[in-house]
Amino acid sequence: MSNLVKKWLRENTFHHSQFWDILQLIEEKQKQNLRISLCLPTYNEEATIGKEVVIFKSELQDRYPLLDEIAVIDSGSTDSTCEVAASFGAAVYQSADILPEMGFNRGKGENLWKAIHQLTGDIIVYVDADIKNIHSRFVYGLVAPLIYRSEIKYVKAFYDRPLVSRDKVRPSGGGRVTEILVRPLFSLFYPELTAIIQPLSGEYAVRREILEQLSFPVGYGVETAHLLDIYAKWGMGAFAQTDLDKRVHRHQQTRDLGKMSFGILRAFFKRLKAQGAIGDLPELSPYLMRYQALGNEYETELIEIFEKERPAMLEVEAYRKKFGR
Amino acid sequence: MVEVRLGKKMVPVRRLPEKLAPFRELLLANAIMLSEIPSPTFGEHDRARFLEQRFTECGLQHCAIDEKNNCFGILPGSEGKKTIMVSAHLDTPFAPTQDHTSRVGVGTIHCPGIADNSLGSALVATLPIILERMGIRLCNDLLLIGCGGSLDYGNLGGIRTFLNEFDSPICFGLALEGASQGRLQFCSVASMGGVISCHVDRKVSSLSAIAILNQIITRIQELPCGHGGELSLVLGAISGGVSYKLPARQAQLKLQVRGDSDGEVKDLVKKIENILNEFARPLGVSAYLEVIARTRAGGLDFSHPLVKYARKVMGILELSPLDDYYSSTISSYVEHDIPALCLGITKADNINYQDEYVEIGPIMKGVAQVIAMLMGVDGGVGE
Repeated sequence: MSNLVKKWLRENTFHHSQFWDILQLIEEKQKQNLRISLCLPTYNEEATIGKEVVIFKSELQDRYPLLDEIAVIDSGSTDSTCEVAASFGAAVYQSADILPEMGFNRGKGENLWKAIHQLTGDIIVYVDADIKNIHSRFVYGLVAPLIYRSEIKYVKAFYDRPLVSRDKVRPSGGGRVTEILVRPLFSLFYPELTAIIQPLSGEYAVRREILEQLSFPVGYGVETAHLLDIYAKWGMGAFAQTDLDKRVHRHQQTRDLGKMSFGILRAFFKRLKAQGAIGDLPELSPYLMRYQALGNEYETELIEIFEKERPAMLEVEAYRKKFGR
Repeated sequence: MVEVRLGKKMVPVRRLPEKLAPFRELLLANAIMLSEIPSPTFGEHDRARFLEQRFTECGLQHCAIDEKNNCFGILPGSEGKKTIMVSAHLDTPFAPTQDHTSRVGVGTIHCPGIADNSLGSALVATLPIILERMGIRLCNDLLLIGCGGSLDYGNLGGIRTFLNEFDSPICFGLALEGASQGRLQFCSVASMGGVISCHVDRKVSSLSAIAILNQIITRIQELPCGHGGELSLVLGAISGGVSYKLPARQAQLKLQVRGDSDGEVKDLVKKIENILNEFARPLGVSAYLEVIARTRAGGLDFSHPLVKYARKVMGILELSPLDDYYSSTISSYVEHDIPALCLGITKADNINYQDEYVEIGPIMKGVAQVIAMLMGVDGGVGE
C-alpha cells in the first residue's frame, strides 16, 4: 500500500459515530451559510420510500434542521412511490418534467443529473430509495466531512467494516459487481481508487461545484464514472468515505448484475480511452448477449444497455441561467 | 366547548388535531425506529436506551434505566407540586429473531409490535417535544416512563417495581397503548394468568399427558364461574407431546381466570388447584399450576370526574369510546391507589401477529385526546 493511500485511509475515512453531535454540525453549516439537499432517486420503490422520507424529515428537518430540502426524483413509477413520498412531505418531481427540452431517459443516472438542476443545495446528498434499515446517519455521516473539511468534495458510504478475529481479516466487501468487476479493474488501472471500499454504493454527498462539472451516464455506470472523473481532475484528496455500519437492501438477481456490469464496463472503457490509458478500442457494442438452451437449440438474447451520457450541467444554458453561472 | 390552555391561549379540543399535525412525522419516525428494535419481555434494554436518548435530547431530568428495563425521565412543571405519570410498555410478544422491518404506506405502518406497543412508546418519547413546541408548560411534573417486563411472564413487573420505589405522590396515571382508538379503560379486573403443566413419568406410567390434560380441562370448565357470570375462564394456548407415535410425556395449558372480585378469583384458583391434586394421584403423574401473572380488581367509577372528562374529550374529537372498561395495565396503578386511565391512539389490526399494522390517519386525534387529558388533569380535573 502506498504512503499516499495509507495517509488517505487514515485521514479521509470516517465512521458515522464521529459525527453524532448534529447540533454542532448544524452550527458549522450555518456559519458557512450552506444549503443541503437530499435527493432520493426512485423507480417503483413504494415498499421503502415512505419510511425513508418519514425518518429523514423527522430527524433531519423537524428535530434537527440539517436538511433544507428532501426531494424524490422519479423515473415514472407505476406503483404508489410518488403518492407515498408526497404524503409524508417530500417534494416529488418527475424526472421527465425537469429540463424537458433536454428529453428524458429512464435511469438512475438521469435522475441524479436532473437533481442538480432541480435542487438548490450547495451540497447534494444522494441516498438510494431501497434501504430497509434507514437511519439519519445515512445523511449526516456523509455530509459531515464536507462541512468540516473544505478540501473534501465527494464523500462515499461504505458498510460493514473489515472484521479482525483470531489473526484473520475478513476483507470489507462490496457487492458482487464490486468484487468481481470494479475492484479488479481499479487494481489494474487506478490502484489508489481501490482504497474506496464500496465504490458502487448508492449513497454519497457531493458539492454542487463538483457535480455541475461532471458528465453523467444515465444508467448503471454513473458511480464508476464519477469516481474516475473526480480522480482525474481533483485527485484522491477530493474523496472521503464514511462507514455507515449496516445496510439492508433488496437482493439483486445475478442476471440483473450482468446488465449493471455491462454498463459499468462501457463507462469505464470510455474514460480509459479519453484519458489515453488504453490504446485503440473497437467500437463498443450496446448489446449484452446471452444464450439460452431450448431443447437442442440455442437461442440468442440481445439486451440493449443504453448508456447515454448527459453533459456536465455547466454546459446546459438553463442551468447556468438558474444558478447564475 | 372544552378548551385546553396552550401557552397563553385557550384552544378548543376540537382544533387540537390540526394544531398537532406538524408533529406527525416526529411521532411516526419514533414509532418506526422503536418498532424495528426487537424488544421481547425481559429484553427491552435496547428500546429503553433509545427512549433514554430521546429523553436526554429533550432535556428531561433524572433520566435513567433501571434493572427492570424501565426508562424514565421527568419534565419539570412550573410548580411541581404533584406528578402526572404517563406510561407505555416497551415489550412485545415477538422474538428478536423475527423480522422487525417496518413498511410505511400511504395510510398504514406495518411492523410486528407497531400497535402493541411501539406507537404507545413512541408517543411517550415524542410528548416532550410536542409539549415544548406547542408552548405547553404543565404546572405539575410530568413523569414519562417506558416500562419493561409487562407482558406474559413479565407480570407488569417493570411498572410495579417502579411504583414501589418512586417516592413522590402521583396524582394521575395515563397508560398509553398504540391501539385501539376509543379505548377508555379505567378499571382493573381481578385476574390470575397461569400455566397448567401435566407430566407423566414414562418409567412407571403409559398414560398420555394430553389425555390427562383433556380431562382436567373438562373438569375446570364444569366449575361454577361465580354468581351472575362475574367470573370468566379463558383457555388461551395449549401444547404437548412430540410425536403421533408416542403417548405425550408432557402437556401444558395457558389459561386466565378473570373476575370482578379478588376473593372470587382466588377461590376459583383454589378449586382448580384441588382438581389438579386429584389428577396427580396416580403413580408417575404430576399436574400443577404455575401462576404467571396476577392483577387486582379496582379502579375508577363510571361517574368519576376523570372518566367523565375523558368521555367529553373523546366526544368532541368524535371518538367513540369502546365498551371494554378493563385493562390489566390499570392494576399496577390500582395497587398504589393512583387514579388512572388507559387510552388507545389509533386503529390497528392483526395485533400480535407478524402482519400487525396501524392506521396513520387517526393517529393525531389519538394524540389530541392524550394532550387534552394531560391539560385537563393539570388544570384540576379529578381533584
